[in-house]
Amino acid sequence: MKTRSALWATAALSVAALASAPAFAADITFDFDVAAPTGRIMVALFDSEANYGGEGQPVRYAMVEAADAQKTVTFENLPDGDYAMRAFHDLDGDGKMNTNPFGMPIEPFAFSNNAAANMGPASWARAKFAATGAVVQSISLK
Amino acid sequence: MIPSRRSFLMGAAALSAAVATPEMVRAAAALDVAADWAIATRDVEDDVARQTMRLIHGRAPTGLQGALFRNGPGRFRRPGGSVTHWFDGDGLMRAFRIHDGQATLEARFADTPKRRVETELNAVVTPGFGTRGDPRARVGSNDDANAANTAVMAVGNQVWALWEGGSPLAMEASDLSTRGFVTLRDDLKAMPFQAHPRRAPDGSIWNVGTAGDRAVIWRLNPDGGLNQAEVIRLPRASYMHDFTATDRHLILVLQPWVFERQALPVIDGLAWRPEAGTQVMVLDKDDLTRRRLYDLPGFFHFHLGDAWAENDGTIRFDVAASGDPRFAVDGARVLVEGHGVVPGDPARLSLITLRPDGRAEMATTEAIGEFPKADPRRQGLKRSLTAHTSGETQGRPLPTGLAVQDWDSGRSRGFHFGPHHVVEEAVFVPKPGATAESDAWLVGPSINLQAGRTELHVFDVARIEDGPVATWQADLALPAGFHGAWAG
Repeated sequence: MKTRSALWATAALSVAALASAPAFAADITFDFDVAAPTGRIMVALFDSEANYGGEGQPVRYAMVEAADAQKTVTFENLPDGDYAMRAFHDLDGDGKMNTNPFGMPIEPFAFSNNAAANMGPASWARAKFAATGAVVQSISLK
Repeated sequence: MIPSRRSFLMGAAALSAAVATPEMVRAAAALDVAADWAIATRDVEDDVARQTMRLIHGRAPTGLQGALFRNGPGRFRRPGGSVTHWFDGDGLMRAFRIHDGQATLEARFADTPKRRVETELNAVVTPGFGTRGDPRARVGSNDDANAANTAVMAVGNQVWALWEGGSPLAMEASDLSTRGFVTLRDDLKAMPFQAHPRRAPDGSIWNVGTAGDRAVIWRLNPDGGLNQAEVIRLPRASYMHDFTATDRHLILVLQPWVFERQALPVIDGLAWRPEAGTQVMVLDKDDLTRRRLYDLPGFFHFHLGDAWAENDGTIRFDVAASGDPRFAVDGARVLVEGHGVVPGDPARLSLITLRPDGRAEMATTEAIGEFPKADPRRQGLKRSLTAHTSGETQGRPLPTGLAVQDWDSGRSRGFHFGPHHVVEEAVFVPKPGATAESDAWLVGPSINLQAGRTELHVFDVARIEDGPVATWQADLALPAGFHGAWAG
């Protein structure tokens, strides 16, 4: 009986270990549609509401040339889970999100799910999506 | 003791007086019953195709040819949520065209992102000047909340629908189709371009846009292209709907209705501080760093008249002034509700004088007046006449007549349609080839409440008291508009 319960315990442990270990299974692709083929698209992917809200770093980031025929980025081998993305089209390629003199963005920006902004960035609730396996989103930066 | 019949009646009278005075009954009735003026904020469902208006009085003056473009909110209510403030309805551009003695009317909605989102959702969701909005709003930029509903500026083959907190929206003058927001320079995208641009004698167009205690000063070429834009600091974060100008100066009137916190709707962030007085900032058009500040007792206003400078440096301009912003906060809500009592006193026409020695004076007339307009041949120059709407009374909103104030003689002349008309702003149209200030027509609409129809009137400025020289009637009533521009 002792052996049997030890086996069960080991099995339970290994199952628990499997469950808590990252499952590198998600590949997240964004395909961008832009109004002008200049500069580059700055993309940041977040894996938590806090980080998306500005408290931490993106889990991945990328730059996509706006002149490329395929304006696509794929973030591979991510753990399954909830993600949200912020992007802006750096039209003049200066690396910054330009604003008008009153601080209003003047370069196009977008969020995953093409979530609408509302007096600020789209909320995590609007922008988050569940990722398992291959996920592809077409994002408009027009 | 048996109460006498007399004392019983006295008691009943006292009781009824305590419970309900005739004034209270009238006020209560007014709160419940849709007012006859409610048509001024009726909903227009769709664009209105061009129709010929019927001449019902007089005849069109020879030489009067052109179009009166007028803007104003045309849609307030949707099944899933409605505008709660007069200033937040969808911009509806009207064109009254007068040619060969005939008049036509058409109207088309400004095709804004706000209207598209709210049409899709079948609900008003976007926050505004007095409307709260809700979480379904999609506002990534101030232009996503732009109602394009306040005024109009004619530029070449276009009319620009103007709002207060965002870009002009270009529409084709020929058919009022929407072209899109105007970006005067890429780095100035979405900067506010207010509803009351003013042309200088040289044809240049000046305007302002504000954000808290900062203002952008726009200087446009006569064709509407950008000449210069400069951001300046203001001494306080006043609510500003209008500014004025002489040929050499810009004049910003900083009323004591000030932004004290970031909030939506806009009116929730404003506080009325009359004890702080009204400041008047005068800037040199050629060097915006050259400024002078004048102090006046606190008053509330939306609209200013054109300013002029006299030889000794004295600057004068008129203002439609009232004691407080109750109309802006509560009156405009009552208008959309379509019943009830509008609080506060109607604005009176006043003349402000800024002396070279730094003193400022304000002389208030007896004339009830709003929507001041003056001779476009004299913009920024000495003049004596101000045309304005008139006849608004306490408790009942909206004007019922037009008047002309003569600042030189102190006389006011006017015409009242009576309470069955809601009279809108009239523009000053010079007679061809004429130069005298009174050689002009006033052209503007009213809503005939009894007929349920919009009318277009032409007055001779010199004989305004005789009533319209021509009146045309449409086959429908459009809601009351705000501001117009004449394109001859």
